[in-house]
Amino acid sequence: MTGAPLVLLVDDEQAILDGLAPFLERSGLEVATATDGEAALAAHGRTPADILVCDVLMPRLDGRALVRRLRSDGDWTPVVLLTQVGESYERSAALEEGADDYLNKPFDPQELLARVRAVLRRAVPGQPSLTASDVLVSGGLRVDRAARRATLDGRPVALTPKASLLLDYLMTHPGELLTRERLLAALWGFESMVTTRAVDHRVAEIRRVLDDDPAAPRFVETVPSGGYRFCGDVRRGARG
Amino acid sequence: MTERPARAARTVTRGAAVAAAVVVLVTAATAVLVALAAPGDSLRVTVRLLPLVLVVGALAVVAVLGTAVLRARTRRRSTQRLEHAREQARRFEQEARTRFLARLDHELKNPVTAIRAAVAGAGDDAGPEERARSLATLVSQSTRLSALVADLRKLAELGTQEIEDEDVDLAQVVRDAVEDVCAQADAAGAPRPAVDVALPTAPWPLPHVRGDVDLLYVAVYNLLANAVKFSPPGTRIEVRGTDDDGTVLVEVADAGPGIPQDEVGVVFDELARGRDARGLPGSGIGLALVRVVAQRHGGDVTLRSRVGQGTSVRLRVPTAGPSGGGPTVR
Repeated sequence: MTGAPLVLLVDDEQAILDGLAPFLERSGLEVATATDGEAALAAHGRTPADILVCDVLMPRLDGRALVRRLRSDGDWTPVVLLTQVGESYERSAALEEGADDYLNKPFDPQELLARVRAVLRRAVPGQPSLTASDVLVSGGLRVDRAARRATLDGRPVALTPKASLLLDYLMTHPGELLTRERLLAALWGFESMVTTRAVDHRVAEIRRVLDDDPAAPRFVETVPSGGYRFCGDVRRGARG
Repeated sequence: MTERPARAARTVTRGAAVAAAVVVLVTAATAVLVALAAPGDSLRVTVRLLPLVLVVGALAVVAVLGTAVLRARTRRRSTQRLEHAREQARRFEQEARTRFLARLDHELKNPVTAIRAAVAGAGDDAGPEERARSLATLVSQSTRLSALVADLRKLAELGTQEIEDEDVDLAQVVRDAVEDVCAQADAAGAPRPAVDVALPTAPWPLPHVRGDVDLLYVAVYNLLANAVKFSPPGTRIEVRGTDDDGTVLVEVADAGPGIPQDEVGVVFDELARGRDARGLPGSGIGLALVRVVAQRHGGDVTLRSRVGQGTSVRLRVPTAGPSGGGPTVR
């Protein structure tokens, strides 16, 4: 036992396992590997991992089915999905199945390491994560994620679909610095064709609608020359 | 070329038939007039019932058959025309696909070749400097490949993904895009582009349109960035907004080198890169993206260019909102 968190890396592409596993080990994590969802379940059953990093498209049992299987067994081990096809659909599907985060392939290994560390920091062993919650609450703000409805101090607030998606992402990653580039890639799917102004516009919309003062933010904080961070405490809420 | 004599023969036959019909009609009319004009004379025609029924029946059958033949011929001709149009569309599609694959092949070959060369250069016998250079090449070329793949995927996705349907002030989008290209030039230490913006205020400002503000921003930004990229420093770029009764037109014009006439038709294709643009950065996705964004908003984009004078691109967006091409979010 080294005391380092155990990452179970699941991908049917051996070249990816061969490259990523040593990199994650050099970065201070313990790494086990599996080449499909079934093998991952067996490995996780033998030695429970602290986090799973899974490709979506895999033979036998794909990444999303693997997450579903774990969650239906009451296993809340964090999962980061590596998506690659039809990203808009996979983006929402990944979170709806109960994954804790996702990264679009091809990705920068450093970015994966940062995601893994952030998810591990947020995770409470044995507890469902915020991404698995139907309702998120922060102070007077209440977001019903399934119904895509938000209220502030009991009053309904109207956000455009993209701002709503951004608020959801910020709230499920509380306290974490999210760069504009990261948000743009994760939520818009743009990588190199556009400037990051789109993110600023939507943050401005969220602030306007939630009456959040950038100088003394209750919800979204600007990190100078960094990006944005959800600064309020976020907890799981109950529907009804 | 064999079609022309056949068409001429058909025209002659049709002319002869019309002439014969005219002669018969004139003769019959004259006979009736003569009969009426000669008092005292009478013309009695006795016809037996059975032959009359047979003749009328035969005439009716001929008329029905004739109509059917004419209809069938018309139908056959329109089917042939449709088939011809389909065949032409298939051919265009095939040609576009072949052009795309050839360009993709070209865009992929260079980075892959560079990666293989870098791997070979980072062998056991390589010195630390050579290895560092090879590693840097591996990083930059794989990043280039990633960006290309991501851009192509985004482009494919844009054709079908849900787009938002909200109120968009295109004049504000234009101002933001101009501000951004200038800020980027400043950040890169490049000379600030000379952009003139003309947006109407009288008798009224540009009407708002319905659509996805982020995508429209991407479209306008791409047009501007292209104009900046191809304009020699110091030359002016003009951006004009026009309210054209139900359509908002944004025109971005530059006084750059222009695009050769044979390339104007394909500049909106995926990965299209002009002969003169090879040395400049870019993946050739930008204009294809503008075209898809315009189409998803029920509009279009057109380009005019003169070599040595410059290029003008016009983006038209109807005020009514997105139409066709996929679902929208309300």
